[in-house]
Amino acid sequence: MSNTTTSIAQAGTRTVRFRIKRADGHKKNVRWEEYDVPVTSGSEGSGSANVISCLQHIAANPVTRHGERTTPITYDVGCLEEVCGSCTMLINGHVRQACSCLIDTCAPRDGDVITLEPMTKFPVIRDLWVDRARLFETLKRTSAWVPIDGTYHLGAGPMETPDEQQVRYKLSECMSCGCCLEACPQYLIEEDVENWDSAFVGAAVISQARYFNMHETGASTKKLRLDALSEAGGVSDCGNAQNCVKACPKEIPLTESIAAMGRAVTVHKIKQFFSGQ
Amino acid sequence: MTTTPTFMDRHHFLLRRLHSLTGIVPIGMFLIAHLTTNSTIVWGAINTRAADPLRAADGVVQVGQAGERLARQVGTFQHEVAYINDMPFLVLIEITLWLSIAFHAVFGVMYARSGRSNTRRYAYQGNWRYTAQRWTGYIGLLFIIYHIGTLRWGWTFLQPNNEPWSHAHASSTLAAALRGHEGAWSIGGVFVAILYFTGVTSLIYHFANGVWTAAITWGLTVSEKAQKRWGYVCAGLGFALMGAGWSALAGFLALDYDAARSIEAALHGTPQESIMVQQDATETPHTPTMHITQANTPLTTEGGDN
Repeated sequence: MSNTTTSIAQAGTRTVRFRIKRADGHKKNVRWEEYDVPVTSGSEGSGSANVISCLQHIAANPVTRHGERTTPITYDVGCLEEVCGSCTMLINGHVRQACSCLIDTCAPRDGDVITLEPMTKFPVIRDLWVDRARLFETLKRTSAWVPIDGTYHLGAGPMETPDEQQVRYKLSECMSCGCCLEACPQYLIEEDVENWDSAFVGAAVISQARYFNMHETGASTKKLRLDALSEAGGVSDCGNAQNCVKACPKEIPLTESIAAMGRAVTVHKIKQFFSGQ
Repeated sequence: MTTTPTFMDRHHFLLRRLHSLTGIVPIGMFLIAHLTTNSTIVWGAINTRAADPLRAADGVVQVGQAGERLARQVGTFQHEVAYINDMPFLVLIEITLWLSIAFHAVFGVMYARSGRSNTRRYAYQGNWRYTAQRWTGYIGLLFIIYHIGTLRWGWTFLQPNNEPWSHAHASSTLAAALRGHEGAWSIGGVFVAILYFTGVTSLIYHFANGVWTAAITWGLTVSEKAQKRWGYVCAGLGFALMGAGWSALAGFLALDYDAARSIEAALHGTPQESIMVQQDATETPHTPTMHITQANTPLTTEGGDN
């Protein structure tokens, strides 16, 4: 197969080798497979290949570079423009979105190798597809939303200052992709759902709690979020390695959010100590 | 959760904050006092009044082979040691420190074990600091146990020179403990000196980095800029303490045992011993061993070391 693709290679076309870690389930039948994929440089006018387009190429004809016929590789994908976070995986060992990983950038030369692995902090469903349910459960645990339900029309919310908007706009870009959790040495895989309530919530959720606490209407349930973040697995479980802010594809100031929530929880707990509420 | 929350879970926040607090008060404050006190074995040289009790009528200091500089250094350090020993409620201060260290250590080990270092994959500076914070904690804990055991609780089996600690002879016994021998270094002494260097360096890093992370934990430094600025302050604190710790170590390792012994004896009123040590050093250079027994500090000096 690889011989065929190389022989028909035209100017500007090269072969990139994909090493992919596959599995039938979490820790089930884990194996590595290699595929050679022909790619055309973006400057040739046909658009840049990315990791997802290469996975689609493999799916069209799933044959390894040793000529072995296999099955299409399973992966999660949604928007294809780095705003949904579904296709997050380890690419050459670093966590990022596959859709925004351009082959011209990460494998510019003929014969370059790209390694794909599923995220390690979530259980694998199949191949590169992981189950990030814990992340969404944790958002629920910290009441990471604005309460707008009422028995009557609540009217328009209070005005927000431009300064607050500036901060909150950046925080709003979080897509719950899990890059910060994958890079965090304090966030570990937890398969037992029973433990999700006491395991570390991670940077994304702490930042979301800050996002909703800063919201004029969201602030009405501030106490719920601060209580949740002061419990086991809350903001004090952070070890300040600060990998999260480096790994975040949206460059959200996660370490600032952690410190801001550390401050909020400190004040909240001191008030609670003296007021008893 | 279906199970009842454990004690640890119910008081999670309080325990975490107490862990952070004890690292600074009292442990960190004690570390600063301890290192600055010990560094007087070098910086005591600029303390012009330290040698006054040893000055003869003509204003010259001459105790054994020791001159003005050494008299100031040992004089200052001995004065500090005596000051600490005369503190009221010293035993309460000690108990508070031991309890704080025990609490910080037990919970620290537990918290450290809740993470998995990943510097291989994410080799960022901050990640290395995180990993180093945990390792220096482990090393520092073992070092503190050794340090208190040998110099406070009187363990002699881990002391190459088998000499128990004596407050009245703090300078000389510490020099002998670090070198493993009163005079030249022994093999065991090399290990003790390396252990001290590693232990002291680890603990200073652990403290300085701990002050930096505590500011984030408590929410004192929020913006990235503030964290960076505070980082420089903490690095400055760390380097200053490294300077104090390393100079103390170098000062004791280079200390002339017999000369320090004479100064201590002159300061703490055992003139007989001061004379005997001098005699030992000057008159019987080839006598293999000479035992001088004091009230409660058995002491061995060997001839020919000078």
